[in-house]
Amino acid sequence: MEESIIKHIEQELANEEIEDGLELTDDLLGSGILDSLGMMKLISFIEEAYSIQVAPEEMVIENFMTVESICKYINSKV
Amino acid sequence: MIYNLVQICQNSAKEFGHNDAFRYLNEVISFNDLDVKSSQLAKHLYNLGIKKGDRVGILMPRCLETAIAVYGILKSGAAYVPIDPFSPLERAKFLIEDCGIKHVITIPQQIKKIKKLTLKNKNLTSIVGISNEEGFKSITWEDVFKISLKNYVPANILGEDLSYILYTSGSTGTPKGIMHTHNSALAFAELVVDLYDFKPTDKVANVAPLHFDPSILGYFSAPLAGATTVIVSDGHLKFPVSLAELMEKEQLTIWFSVPLVLVQLMLNGGIKNRDFSSLRWVLFSGEVFPTKQLRALMKIWPHAIYSNIYGPTELNQCTNYNLYEPPIGDDTIPIGTTWGNTEFKILDENDNEVKEGEVGLLVIRSATMMQGYWNNIALTEKSMYNLEVAPGFMHVYYRTGDLVKLNNKGELLFLGRKDRQIKLRGFRIEIDEIENILLKFKGVVEAAVVLADLKEEKELIATVLTDKNSKISTKDLEKHCNNELPVYALPSKILILDAFPRTSTGKINRKEMEKIIKP
Repeated sequence: MEESIIKHIEQELANEEIEDGLELTDDLLGSGILDSLGMMKLISFIEEAYSIQVAPEEMVIENFMTVESICKYINSKV
Repeated sequence: MIYNLVQICQNSAKEFGHNDAFRYLNEVISFNDLDVKSSQLAKHLYNLGIKKGDRVGILMPRCLETAIAVYGILKSGAAYVPIDPFSPLERAKFLIEDCGIKHVITIPQQIKKIKKLTLKNKNLTSIVGISNEEGFKSITWEDVFKISLKNYVPANILGEDLSYILYTSGSTGTPKGIMHTHNSALAFAELVVDLYDFKPTDKVANVAPLHFDPSILGYFSAPLAGATTVIVSDGHLKFPVSLAELMEKEQLTIWFSVPLVLVQLMLNGGIKNRDFSSLRWVLFSGEVFPTKQLRALMKIWPHAIYSNIYGPTELNQCTNYNLYEPPIGDDTIPIGTTWGNTEFKILDENDNEVKEGEVGLLVIRSATMMQGYWNNIALTEKSMYNLEVAPGFMHVYYRTGDLVKLNNKGELLFLGRKDRQIKLRGFRIEIDEIENILLKFKGVVEAAVVLADLKEEKELIATVLTDKNSKISTKDLEKHCNNELPVYALPSKILILDAFPRTSTGKINRKEMEKIIKP
């Protein structure tokens, strides 16, 4: 799961090429890796790939700050 | 008497020293600390040979250090130039070269970008905010904060000195550097404090990034009143639910942002279940607030007063329109009247004043007006309207390029940008008018119309965002447009999108939009 999300961000969503690869704990929000549109696309990707529904009240910083927190969130749903 | 921006920091330190000056997430800096730390940065810059008129870059995302950087650079006598860390490297490189920046202030998280920039810009000689690396000189924040202020002599800064340069996005060509003096920035800061009655107990939200002019309110007006500025993080702006939580937790009293952030808060932030009783002013600028959205928001927060603020970066801002009750009807709300120390004229194409109530181009004369465009005297002159009022004495107005007219109450109505008036197959079409028609349809949240170069001919393409709960089809919208618009102004295609591409300031990125539209 971690790898496929990282790959998707690196190849499809990142604003700029991420040198040295994206780390599990890299801040996706404050570092400029993803803009608002990119984040929405990432949420759609996660919903489809893991067959989950991200409820509006779950769209919060704590769940989407890093790839690590995203995976933790997905695991809590499936 | 206050005549420069540095005195804001010094005076508030004397009067409200222990109050919070800036807050960011769990970090906080008092006025006392801000005064000391910015002086330490100023001394460091002074030791590097910084002198009046020099430009120092700030490459930072929203963070607490931005406040120290802003006041530290100003105290050194230099002007600050914000560089958006999220913009492409080429743009940062352009800015650094265009205004001859030798020193950049940053935070450790930006090290990768800084390394690339120093390789590309030979003139960039030193960096503040990261540890020493090969190839360029640098100093960490920790070491800056160890600098002794013994023998520190503050620079003698006059009101007419350059204070900052903000670059336009360059959506219509090369980015332009807008130069403001201490006078023009301070005039704006003071007007805001006066108009909205900022108090030392206020908590003011700073939503805009440093390179976007609404930040002048958060970084100067609030400290001038001894109020606390809460810097909203990039993360919070991507998640309305988190943003609503922050607003409630911080007990914000004054809000200032583009309408978009408020619309997203209302639609996706779950604000009905939270306590926003502390909020007394909701200020917005930058784009037109769709009236039906504004009315809906005003019904959720009825206790606050709302103010539509208008003005290009060249003027800081220049007019406002306060709303105490939700607007009736869906007409666009006025941009209101010019505020203190400001006057306007409405001119036709030949610079003659139009008759009362007629449409024309707005020109503004104000104490908050820029000095000019950086290194571009020709463009500065072109953007000004000079009126000789007495032999050898000129009144200088800035040409906003915005189409306006006065209503029967003497309030200004914004009708769109002159350059958003297009000609298609010989017909004159107002892009804004088509967008307003689309917005009138129930369930349409935002609309953007672009003139796209498809195949041989230019075509009008409309794109909209809709409320998730409404089931609007493009057919409904086509029918609605058929009823409301002349045939020549009908979009040839209407697309319902999930999201719009945005600039870093939250405005719709129309250049990128064209790419999405093109198959």
